[in-house]
Amino acid sequence: MTSEVTTKQAGAEPEPPPQQRKQRREFVNALFRFQSLFGLVAVFVVAVVFSPRHNGELLFLNADNLANVVRAMSEIGIMAVGMTFVILVGGIDLSVGAVLGLAAVGSAVLMVNDDFGVVATVVIVLAIGLFFGFLQGMASALFGIQAFIVTLAGMQIARGLARIWSGGQGVAIAYGDGPGEAPVTFSLLGERTFNGIVPIPALIFAVVAVVAIVFLRTSAFARHVYAIGGNEKAARLSGVPVTRVKVIVFCICGFLAALAGIVHAGQLNQGSPNDGFGYELDAIAAVVIGGTSLMGGRGSVVGTVAGALLLGVLNNFLGLHGVDPNVQLLVKGLVIVVAAGLQRLRPTV
Amino acid sequence: MDNAVNPLVEMIGISKSYGGVRACRDIDLTVRAGEVHALLGENGAGKSTLMKILSGDVTDYDGTVSIGGAPVRFAAPADAQRAGVAMIHQELDLVPGLTVAENIFLGRELRTRLRTVDRRRTNQVTRGLLERCGVALDPRRPVGELRTGEQQLVTIAKALSLDAKVLIMDEPTSALSPVEVEQMFTVISELRRAGVGIVYISHRMDEIGRIADRATVLRNGSVVAGFDTRDMTAEAAAEAMVGRPVQAMFRTRDVDPGEEVLRVTGLALTPRRERSGRREPDGISLAVRRGEIVGVGGLLGSGRTELLETLYGAGSAGTLRGEILFRGRPFHPRGARQSLRAGMALVPEDRRIAGLSLEHSVAANTVLSIVDRIATAGFVPRARETGAVRRITAELKVKLGSIGDAVGTLSGGNQQKVVFGRMLLTEPVLLLLDEPTRGVDVGAKAEIYQLLGEAAQQGIGVLLASSELAELVGVCDRVVVLSGGRSVRELDTRQAGEADLLAASMGEGSAALAVEGGENA
Repeated sequence: MTSEVTTKQAGAEPEPPPQQRKQRREFVNALFRFQSLFGLVAVFVVAVVFSPRHNGELLFLNADNLANVVRAMSEIGIMAVGMTFVILVGGIDLSVGAVLGLAAVGSAVLMVNDDFGVVATVVIVLAIGLFFGFLQGMASALFGIQAFIVTLAGMQIARGLARIWSGGQGVAIAYGDGPGEAPVTFSLLGERTFNGIVPIPALIFAVVAVVAIVFLRTSAFARHVYAIGGNEKAARLSGVPVTRVKVIVFCICGFLAALAGIVHAGQLNQGSPNDGFGYELDAIAAVVIGGTSLMGGRGSVVGTVAGALLLGVLNNFLGLHGVDPNVQLLVKGLVIVVAAGLQRLRPTV
Repeated sequence: MDNAVNPLVEMIGISKSYGGVRACRDIDLTVRAGEVHALLGENGAGKSTLMKILSGDVTDYDGTVSIGGAPVRFAAPADAQRAGVAMIHQELDLVPGLTVAENIFLGRELRTRLRTVDRRRTNQVTRGLLERCGVALDPRRPVGELRTGEQQLVTIAKALSLDAKVLIMDEPTSALSPVEVEQMFTVISELRRAGVGIVYISHRMDEIGRIADRATVLRNGSVVAGFDTRDMTAEAAAEAMVGRPVQAMFRTRDVDPGEEVLRVTGLALTPRRERSGRREPDGISLAVRRGEIVGVGGLLGSGRTELLETLYGAGSAGTLRGEILFRGRPFHPRGARQSLRAGMALVPEDRRIAGLSLEHSVAANTVLSIVDRIATAGFVPRARETGAVRRITAELKVKLGSIGDAVGTLSGGNQQKVVFGRMLLTEPVLLLLDEPTRGVDVGAKAEIYQLLGEAAQQGIGVLLASSELAELVGVCDRVVVLSGGRSVRELDTRQAGEADLLAASMGEGSAALAVEGGENA
C-alpha cells in the first residue's frame, strides 16, 4: 500500500530532480520485488504479537514451535524451488504432488520390501523423479503440448504408478537390521540437529534453496531460463537451446519433487500412495506469493522461499489459535489473491 | 457555429508531463475537414502523447481540445469515438479468428428479430462499407488470413462505420508493400474527398510529400516547425526533427569485396506443413562476399523474410533443395544456435516480437547470445559480462541510462541497436538483417546505416532484406529481387534507382539496368 502512495506523489509533485525520481522508482521497484519478504516479516510480527501465551512465554516464539514451522513447510519449500524454475520459463508442473507420493512409496517399498540400502534407495528414487520430469519435458517440448496438459496427465500417471507399486496402501517403515526393516540411517530425516533445534528436512531445504539462489544468479543456464520466459522466440533466434533448457528445467522440478518425497517418507515413517495430494497447489502458491510471474521471465527463489515460509507461519499461527482448518484454507486463499493483486500494481517498464 | 469556419480539430496549449518528464509543452494543432495533416518528429518527440490525448487515451492534461468548434474533454477512448475521433493503431486491434464483417461489428452486432446475429445483413453492410473505401475484400474472410495491408484497411473501414470524422493514422504504411501503399493512398484520397480530417504520423518523407497538405514537426514535446507540404523539402523537415543538419543518410563507398562468404544456388523449401501467409523459397540464387552489402528486395509476400529464416535455420521445417555454400563449405541450416556458431547471425524483423525480452535489462539482452561462451564452468563472470556490454553499446552509440535498465525503456532505434550489438558480439562473418530500420526515427536510421557500413568495412558480409526502396538502393551494393519466392533479377545500385527496383519487384521490364540474374555484379 505504501508503494502506491509513493507513486502517486511522484506524479503530483512538480518535476523532482531526475536523480531523486530514479531513486524513488528503484525504491518502489524493490518494494514489489521483495514483497514476499516484507509480507513474511509482517505475518511474523503479527504472529508474535498475537501469539498465545503460556506462563508469560510466547508460544509462537518457542524454539520447538519455530522448528515445527520450518519443518512443516520444508517439503512444500523444496518442491516450490523446482516449481520456480519451471514457472520462470513460462511453464507449470502439476505433477509434483503425485511425484512426491510416488517417491515416498518408492522409498518405503525399496527399503522395506526389497531390502535396498539408504544410498541405493535415495539414488533410485531421485533418478525416478528426474526421469519423470525428463519425460514430461520431452513431451511438452517435442510435441508442443502445453505444460499444463502434459503435467496434468503426468499427475495421474504418477499417482497411478504409486498406487500400483504400493499395492494401493501405505507401506509402513520400521527401522532395524532385519529383513523387512529399513536402515536406521533413514530415520535421521525425522530428527533434529544442532542441539536438537534444527530439523534435518529444514536443513535440506536450506541447502536446496541456497544452491538454487546462487545458480539462478550466476549461471549461464539461468540466463537462458529467464530469456525463454521473457521472450521465447527471441531467445530461440539468439541461439538459446530452448528445447534443452525446458527439458532440464522439468528434470530439476521432478528431481526436487522426488527429494521432497524422500523427506516426506522419512518424517512420517511410511510411504502412502495418496500422500502429497494437492501439494502442487501449495507449491505454486508459494511461488506466486514470492512474486514470480506465471508468464515467466520474472521472479526469484528468494521470493519463493519467503512465500513458502509465509504460508508456514500463517498455518502455524492459525493452528496455535485453534482456528478451524477450513477457515485456514480461506485465509490462505485470500493471501494468494492479495499477493497476486499486489504484483499487478507493480510499475511496468 | 459553422463547421466550415471552425477547424474540425483544434488543440490549443496542450501540455502533459509524465512524472517529471514533459511529453508535450504548449502544443497547438489544427486539422481541417478534408485535410491530411502530417505529424513529424523523432520517437519520443511527443507525437504519440498528443494523439493519445486527442483519442481520449490520456485524460489528464492541460490545454483545450475542440471538435467542430465545441470544446470537449474525453474521459475515455469510447468518448472520443462517439465524438467521431478514431485512431488506427500500429498494433491492429482486430480479432484474427473472426471474419472481416464480424470484426467491424464487434460489440454492436446487427440482430435479427429473434435477437440472433444477422449474418446476412452484417456482410451486406460491410460490403458497402468496403466499397466506399474502394477495397475489394470478401466480408466473410477471417481477418487472420488477410495480409497486414488488408487488415489495416479493415480497421479503417471499421472506424468509418463508427462515423469517424477524424482519423489518426500511426505509421499506416510501415508494414505495407509498395502496391499496398498505393492502395492505401487511394483510400486516403477517398476519405479526404468525403470530408474526413486525417492526422498522419509517418517517418517516410516521400509519403508525406505526396499525401499530406500540411505538416507539423515536434521535437522534445514542442512544435518546432510547420510546413505547407508544397514547399517543404525532406532536408528541411529532417533538420527540424533532429534539430541539426542531417548528414547524408546513405554512405558513399567503394566496395572492395573479399572472398565469397555465401553462395546460394536454386534454394527451395517444401514445408512439412503449409502455413498460410508464408512464401517459402522456391528457386533462389544469390551470393554475398565479405565486405559487401547485398539487398533482398521484392513486394510484401515475395519471400524475403522466409529466405533469411531458411538460411538461418529458423524457418519452416521441411525438405530443402538446392545448395548453400557458407564460407566455401556446404551448409545445412539446423537452427539458430548452430548458425551462430558457424558465424551467421540474424537481426529479425520485429524486435519486440522476435528480438528482445523487453522487461529484462539491456545487459541481459545484449549478452544473451554469448553467455555460454563467456562463462567459466557454467558461471557468468560479472566483470566479463559488463565489459562486453559496455564495449558494444559504446561502439554502437546506444543511448542509455544504465545497462541495468529494462531494454523496453529505450527508444526504438536504441532497442534495434541492442539486437544488432548482440549479434555483433557473436563475431559473425555473415549478418542477415530483416527490416533493420522499421519504426526507427530519422536520426537513428542514419546511425544504423553507418554501423552497417562499418560492419561491412570490417569484412562482414551483409544480406539486408527491406521493403524500403530508398534503403535498398541507398545502402546496398547489389539488390536481389524476389518474386513469389524466386530470385527474378539482380540490380547493381550504381546504375539502378528506386524506380527500376520497383519495376523489377512488380515483374516489369527495365532489363537494360538488370545485371544477369544469379550472377555477381
